[in-house]
Amino acid sequence: MLSDITIGQFFPGNSVLHRIDPRVKLALTFIYIVAVFIPRNWWGLGLAVAALIGAALLSRLPARLLLKGLKPVLPLIVLTSIINLFYVDGTVLWHWWIFRITWEGIATAAFIAIRILCLIAGTSLLTYTTSPTTLTDALERLLSPLRVIRVPVHEIAMMMTIALRFIPTLIEETDKIMSAQKARGADMESGGLMQRVRALIPVLIPLFISSFRRAYELATAMECRCYHGGEGRTRMKQLHMRSGDYVALLLMALLIAALFVLNTQFPKVI
Amino acid sequence: MEMIEVRDVQFRYDEEEGSSAVVLDGIHMTVRKGEFVALLGHNGCGKSTLAKHFNAMLLPLGGAVLVKDMNTTDERHKYDIRSTVGMVLQNPDNQLVSTIVEEDVAFGPENLGVEPAVIRTRVDEALKAVGMYDYRDHAAHKLSGGQKQRVAIAGVLAMQPECIVLDEPTAMLDPRGRREVMDTVCRLNREQGITIVLITHYMEEAVLADRVLVMDDGKVVREGTPRQVFSQVEQLRALELDVPQPTELCHVLQQEGITLPDGVLTIEECAEALLQQLEGYHGGH
Ligand SMILES: Nc1ncnc2c1ncn2[C@@H]1O[C@H](COP(=O)(O)OP(=O)(O)OP(=O)(O)O)[C@@H](O)[C@H]1O
Ligand SMILES: [Mg+2]
Repeated sequence: MLSDITIGQFFPGNSVLHRIDPRVKLALTFIYIVAVFIPRNWWGLGLAVAALIGAALLSRLPARLLLKGLKPVLPLIVLTSIINLFYVDGTVLWHWWIFRITWEGIATAAFIAIRILCLIAGTSLLTYTTSPTTLTDALERLLSPLRVIRVPVHEIAMMMTIALRFIPTLIEETDKIMSAQKARGADMESGGLMQRVRALIPVLIPLFISSFRRAYELATAMECRCYHGGEGRTRMKQLHMRSGDYVALLLMALLIAALFVLNTQFPKVI
Repeated sequence: MEMIEVRDVQFRYDEEEGSSAVVLDGIHMTVRKGEFVALLGHNGCGKSTLAKHFNAMLLPLGGAVLVKDMNTTDERHKYDIRSTVGMVLQNPDNQLVSTIVEEDVAFGPENLGVEPAVIRTRVDEALKAVGMYDYRDHAAHKLSGGQKQRVAIAGVLAMQPECIVLDEPTAMLDPRGRREVMDTVCRLNREQGITIVLITHYMEEAVLADRVLVMDDGKVVREGTPRQVFSQVEQLRALELDVPQPTELCHVLQQEGITLPDGVLTIEECAEALLQQLEGYHGGH
C-alpha cells in the first residue's frame, strides 16, 4: 500500500526530457506552475494540457506510471471540485433544499480540477526525469546568489538530497513496523478517527527511534568520507547549457505568449 | 613506515575520569602495508571504538595513533588520513548518501575537491572493481544487501585509499551477500594491494586473513596467523569466541582420543586430515 507512493521518485532514462539541464528543467517547472494559472478559457487550458502531454511523451515514461503518480491527490481534487460545484452562481441545473448545482459551477469545478492535475503532473514529470542529486544540485546553483544574504544554500540542498534518499527507506520501514504490530494483534483498520490515530503511535515511536539511529550512523559515514560542508567541494556531474536547453526555454516563452493571446480571443470561463 | 601504528592507546567515551569505564586500555598494535588483518572479540569489547581511531573519527585520550606516520590528533592531516584509511560500516542502508549508485560513489572524491573528469574515471573504476558497474544508474535502495555493501566499498575505493577498515560489513547480510562482500574484499587485497582491517564475528571470514588479532576488555590479548590463534580452542572459548566449524570438529575428535593435527582451518583441510586418519586406521588392520 505505502509502496504505491511514487512522488519524488526518479526513473533513469535517456530521453530528451532526461537530458535537459536540471537548472533549466527546474526553472521551466516553476514557470509552468505559474503558467497554468494564466488561462481563463478552455482553449488556453487545452493548450497548457497539450504542452504537458507533449512533454510527457518526450519523457518516454509509461503513461501508467504518470497516472499512478496522480492517484494520491485525487481526494484533494474531489474536495475542491465539490466545493466549487455548489458555490458558484449561475444558471441552475438542479436544486434541492439549500444545494444548487449550476452550469457555471460544473465548468469551474472541472477547470480547477484540470489545473491541479497539471500542477501535479508537471512537478512529477520533473522528479521522474531528474535524479535527486542533480535536482538538488541545480537548486543549489540556482539559489547560490542567496548565499550573499547568508542563506545556507548548500546545507538546504544536502538536506533535500538526504531526505529524498531516505524517503523510500523510511516508507519500507513503516510498512515493516506496521506488519510487525499487526502480527502482534494491533488493529489499524477499524474504529473511529481517534482510535486509528492512537493505533499509529506504536508505529511512529519505533520509526522515530530508528530514524535517529540512522541519522547518527549516516553522519558518521559522511564524515568518514571526508564530508566537511560545501566549501571546496566539486561535482562529478558538471552542468552545461546546450542548444536543446535554449530551445526548451524558447518553447516555454511561446507557450506563455500563446496563453495570453488566447485569453484575449475567447470569452472567459472563470 | 607502517600503515597504522597504535601505541598504548587509552580511551573512554566520557572524558571525565572515573565517570565511565575505560573502553580501550593500552592498545598496542600495528597494521603493515598490504596486510589483511582480522580483528575479533566479543560484543562490546571495543572493536568499533578502536576502528574509529584508525581514521581520526575518535582521538585517543592517551597514547597515539599514527597513519603512515601522520598523527591522528593533527588537525591538518584529518582529511589525508580519512582518504587513506577508508571505513565501511555495518548497516548498508545508513551509509549511502545519494539515491543513485554512481552519485553515491562520487560523494567521497567530491568532498576531496577532485576534478570532475577525474571523479568520473575513479567512480567507473571503483564500480568495476566491486563488480557493480552495470548498476551505476540504479536506485541504491532497490539493491540487495550485498550489492549495497559493495557500493559502499566502491564509495571508499573512489577516494583511492591505501587501507580499508570494514566494521562487521557482513553482519546484516544473507550467506550469498556475505560471500559477495568477502570475495570483493579478498580480491582488493590481493590484486590492488589494499591493506584490509576486517572486524567480524564470523570465524570463516577471519580464516581468510593473514593475521588475526583478538581483543578482550580493551586490550589485544592474542595475535598471530589464523592457524596459531585458532589452534587454541579452549583459550578462545574463555574469551567468548567461537572457532571455525572444521577446527571445532577436529578439536572434539581429538578430545575423543583421535590423533588429528592442530589448527585445522578449512573444510578441505579437515576432510584431508580425516581421510588420512581413516586410511591409517584401515592400513593398521
Ligand atoms: N557512543 C558511545 N558512547 C558511550 N559509550 C559507548 C559508545 N559507543 C560504544 N560505547 C561503549 O563502549 C564499549 C565498546 O563498544 P564498541 O562498540 O567499541 O564494541 P564492539 O567491540 O564494536 O562491539 P560489537 O561487537 O557489539 O560491535 C561498549 O561497552 C559500549 O557500550
Ligand atoms: Mg562494533
